[in-house]
Order: sequence, then C-alpha cells, then structure tokens
Amino acid sequence: MENYEKEHTAMANILIVDDSSTMRKIISRSLRQAGLTVDEIYEAGDGIEGLGVIASGKSIQLILSDINMPNMDGLEFVKAVRANGNTTPIVMITTEGGEEIIAEAMSSGASDSIKKPFPPDQLQEKLGGLL
Amino acid sequence: MSSNPDSSRSTDLAEEKIADCVINATKEVFSTMVMMDVIDDFPLKEPVSRFKCSITGMVGFAGTYSGVISIHCPVDLAQKITSNMLGIDCDEVNEDLNDAIGEIANMLGGSVKQVLSKGGLDVKLSIPTVISGEDYTVNSLSDNDCVVVPFTVGGHTLLVGLTLKKED
Repeated sequence: MENYEKEHTAMANILIVDDSSTMRKIISRSLRQAGLTVDEIYEAGDGIEGLGVIASGKSIQLILSDINMPNMDGLEFVKAVRANGNTTPIVMITTEGGEEIIAEAMSSGASDSIKKPFPPDQLQEKLGGLL
Repeated sequence: MSSNPDSSRSTDLAEEKIADCVINATKEVFSTMVMMDVIDDFPLKEPVSRFKCSITGMVGFAGTYSGVISIHCPVDLAQKITSNMLGIDCDEVNEDLNDAIGEIANMLGGSVKQVLSKGGLDVKLSIPTVISGEDYTVNSLSDNDCVVVPFTVGGHTLLVGLTLKKED
C-alpha cells in the first residue's frame, strides 16, 4: 500500500521567478533537499519572463516569485497571472516583508509569502501543504 | 581589503540604533542563508572608501528614507560565501559570485527596510549593484552620517555600511 501511494504521488512542476540567479539556485536546491515532490523546476529572471514560461503551456503546479525585480516586479506579475484566469498557487519569496506590501500581494492574488532570509526548513513547512 | 584600523564606541543614540540594525541584519542573513557565523566589532570612526582585491554589493533606499546599504568583502572571502550559499566550489570572480554578493546586499536592505518602514510601501529598494576589482574606491557624495561595522568571519574581515537620511 505504501509503495502504491508513493508510485502514485503526483510530481509537481515549479516556476521560480527571481532576478537573482543565486536565489533561484538556493530555492531549487532547498526544494530538492526538502523532499518535496518536485519534478521540473523552471526559472525566470523577472515577471515578463515568468509570464512567458506560463504562456508556453508548461504544466506548473506552484509558482514562487520575488517582489523586487526589474522590468516587471512581483506584484505586477501576480496581477497579470490572475488577470489571465490562472489559479496556480503563487508564494512570494521576498525581502519585502512589510505588512502593507504583503497585504497588497495577497489582495492581488498571492497565496502566501516567505520572507528572505529564511531557514531551509521554513520552505518545506510553507510549501509542503501546497504540493 | 584596506580598512581603517581605528574603531570606537559610538556615543550617538541614532548611530547606535543604526549600528544595531546593521549588526542584526548581517547576523541573520549570514546564519540563515550563508551558514556562516559573523562576529561584529565596534563601528569604524571613518568610512572606508578604498578597497583592494575586494567586491562590493550595494542596495539603495528611496522614499521616506534615502540612503545606501553596502557590503564590502575580500574576494577570497566572497568565494567562500558563494560556495556556502550555492553548495558549489567557487574559486574565481564570476557571475555566481557577483550575484551572491548582490543578493546578500538585497537581503540586508530588506531587513533594514523592515526597521525603517513597518508597512513596506513608503520605502523602496533599488535593484542591487555589484562592483569588484584589484583596487577601487567607493565614495558617497552625500553628507549624511554613515555607520560602518566590521565583521570577522573565518579569519577574514568584511564591512557593512549604512548611510541613511530621513526625508522631510
């Protein structure tokens, strides 16, 4: 029974939107190490690139996005994703921990937020329930 | 890295608060994201402007407060920091190293911003800027107070500086 459940656990594809390649690598590594059911990890350097990945038709079960990015920031990105009718959970991973800016992100359609810097186990705790 | 050996206790309350802000932010970032413990020393009397074989990451503030937070560290320490952050071997100045130092500056800026702005909308952060070289100078043209705190990590010294002004 246990093996049956493992074999039939859905593997999630995740999109990471962050202008820092360092953060994308740290998040990717943390996701893999956390034992989450991750299959493909797609990366984008800003909101515009993120919208491009989504528009390419890839199956994505979770989006992680920074807020402070060039070209299109995370708040604009969330609004644009939701404006297209996409309901994929979006978790903001950001240094922008102020209550107002997080509230704006949530009212724009974000599902949750994680403040950088974060301990590795916090990522697992926050994302485990979404995958 | 060339650094001013003179240091002293700050007697100005505002400067003490700014120094505490820098120390707390730096310790939090290094313990959670770099997996290295840093030990703070007394703030320097004068800001350091000339650096040798170093890398500098900076993030600006704009809004109800304006200013810059910067981290300066020797290249060999920056390589260790990058290796720890990314779980890879880093033995040269490359995109990974620049990006890692820029991201540390970004996280330091975010932590300081939380102290300056509880809501988060009245202070904006810039995208990080990173410079490096064998011999370069970084000068602030503002006459605002600058607090520079030295930190010891793994036998090396890095500096974190914060220049702030409250806008009218």
